[in-house]
Amino acid sequence: MNKEIMLDIKQLHHEFILGKKKQQTRISVLKDISFQVKKGEVVTLVGKSGSGKSTLLNLISGFIHPTRGEIWINGSEVSTFTEKQFANFRLKHMGFIFQNFQLIPSMTAFQNIELPLILKGENENKRKQMTLDMLEKVGLKEFGDYYPSELSGGQQQRISIARALILEPPLILADEPTGSLDSETEASLLEFIQQLNEDLGITFLIITHDEVVARTGHRTIAIRDGRLVESGVSQ
Amino acid sequence: MKFRDQLRFIRQNIKKNKIRTFMTILATAMGCAFLIVLASIAYGLQESIVEDTLEQQIITQIDIYGQEDEKGNFQSLTLENIEYLESIEQVKAVTRRNQLRQMPLFAMDDYEAETAAVAAHFPSEVASGLTLREGRLPENRGEVVVGSHFIKNLAEVTDENIYDEETGEIKEGYIYQGNLVDEVLEMTVINNDDEKDSIPLKIVGVLEAPTREWMQDKNVYISDKVFSEVEKFTGTPGGELGVDPKELDSTSIETFDEVKVYADNLEAVQGIADKLDEENYMTYSVVNEMKQINMFFAIGKAGLILVGTIAIIIASIGIYNTMTMAVTERAPDIGIMKAIGANPKTIKQIFLLESSYIGIIGALIGVAVAYATSALVNIGLPLILETAFDESLPEGLQFSSIPVSLILISVGICLLVTILSGLRPAKKATEIDVLKAMRREI
Repeated sequence: MNKEIMLDIKQLHHEFILGKKKQQTRISVLKDISFQVKKGEVVTLVGKSGSGKSTLLNLISGFIHPTRGEIWINGSEVSTFTEKQFANFRLKHMGFIFQNFQLIPSMTAFQNIELPLILKGENENKRKQMTLDMLEKVGLKEFGDYYPSELSGGQQQRISIARALILEPPLILADEPTGSLDSETEASLLEFIQQLNEDLGITFLIITHDEVVARTGHRTIAIRDGRLVESGVSQ
Repeated sequence: MKFRDQLRFIRQNIKKNKIRTFMTILATAMGCAFLIVLASIAYGLQESIVEDTLEQQIITQIDIYGQEDEKGNFQSLTLENIEYLESIEQVKAVTRRNQLRQMPLFAMDDYEAETAAVAAHFPSEVASGLTLREGRLPENRGEVVVGSHFIKNLAEVTDENIYDEETGEIKEGYIYQGNLVDEVLEMTVINNDDEKDSIPLKIVGVLEAPTREWMQDKNVYISDKVFSEVEKFTGTPGGELGVDPKELDSTSIETFDEVKVYADNLEAVQGIADKLDEENYMTYSVVNEMKQINMFFAIGKAGLILVGTIAIIIASIGIYNTMTMAVTERAPDIGIMKAIGANPKTIKQIFLLESSYIGIIGALIGVAVAYATSALVNIGLPLILETAFDESLPEGLQFSSIPVSLILISVGICLLVTILSGLRPAKKATEIDVLKAMRREI
């Protein structure tokens, strides 16, 4: 396994089974997908709605298990992991940015960012300091006590990014990160992602159907009808 | 995830649904209190009955009525038996008494009393704990000691009615008022031919009153020799009247009417009683009675705890419902937590801890309510019963008692049931599909 490779997808195939037991229908959503993402790369995954890009991201995240094929992340074959193993792996090696932010509404911005640290079992003083530092990094130092509903979309996404970054994972998976944002906030956020990549060397795999976002990456992978059709360097 | 953080999570979650959680805690508290109060009645009554039994008995005393022979026939106890009983380890004393089988008349100057005469073995009586209020123990044939209440029977000889109509006791004014020690009593016995024999006896001591307030000792304790003299005069065993001496095998008693074994301490009673049972002695001790009482109440307590547990099980349905709703409501949050790396075990722990938290708080409130109810029952119920039935209840009767063991049992049952009721919702929480939860499809 090449140490420079962060993500290695090998002949990945996935089917959804629909219907009841006796009348089941198998729908193949991903067919023979293979590609690699190097450490420190920002790769965008593009494709039309229903092309299978979100399914691919869910497979990489471990939210669903592939029908066939292998997924290697940072040298570990995660496609064979149990739910518990994947949970621990996600906490240590992966960060997530979702289209609709997925912040816990009953928790403040501070508490949302602190959550991965709590799950990891960090002590309270260290947690507090790290969370305050991260709030400052995402430019929301004054908003720690705000609840998600009291923040704008861009601010919520920054909190979401802060939560993804707090444990300094080597890989961040982003599913339509700017999908709920206006163009001005979108630009600001993309700049922030580029800055994080340059400063911290974090690898990003970003799913998008937005051409502007797609151009942010070092490389773009396109999916059509569950097949990889294009893999090229962004302009 | 640290335990402290899990607790913080739970407190936050509970705050979100204060009323629902409060109602669930209330139901648990009521179930727990019901269990404790119900079982406390059995505990209270057992305590009262045991106390009452112990009050009426000398706890180290074993009464021996006789011995069964090989054919199962009853045999009275002889001196040989007494020697065997005295040889048993941890036996402090073996007292033996024979009561004269006629009621002699005791006269002193112008006073007389008709009361029982008992031949006792004084060394063993003293060893068993018999004490004198005044005077000394008899040393010679004609010396006697009298019971503490003998004097109340010693009444002036007169034609007037000396008895109180209400109490049936001798009126105070007719009772002998002087000191008994060193006075001489004339004991008059009769035989089958109505001939009288008077035996002068000197009172040398008066016994201490029995420890139980309701007991009265009016006996005159005579020596074996005087007892034998009476037998010789009547020609019958124990001076019995109405039997023909010619038809009897013996004219004297070779056995004892009343034999009591005294153990060194309470712990030794059971061992001695078991040994005597092995030797076919017919015995009774407070330990036997305690065993039966405790067995009866153990069954009663188990039954009541079982009934009380049903109340907790009913309350646990509320906990199950609360936890199931909590899991459903928090499904999106659980999904997010799982997505960012929460271990399924941690999710399960949080929900189990939450149901346990409800159980503990409910149980603690239940214990407090049970103590308050128990106090009210002990104060209120006797008043109600006395008013309703116009009868006074025995002093010290306790209807409800809550020992620490009952609290531990109840809290244990409560916790177990609440944890069990939280298991299924907690498992459901771990099985939440991350994608469905984040899409708010649960």
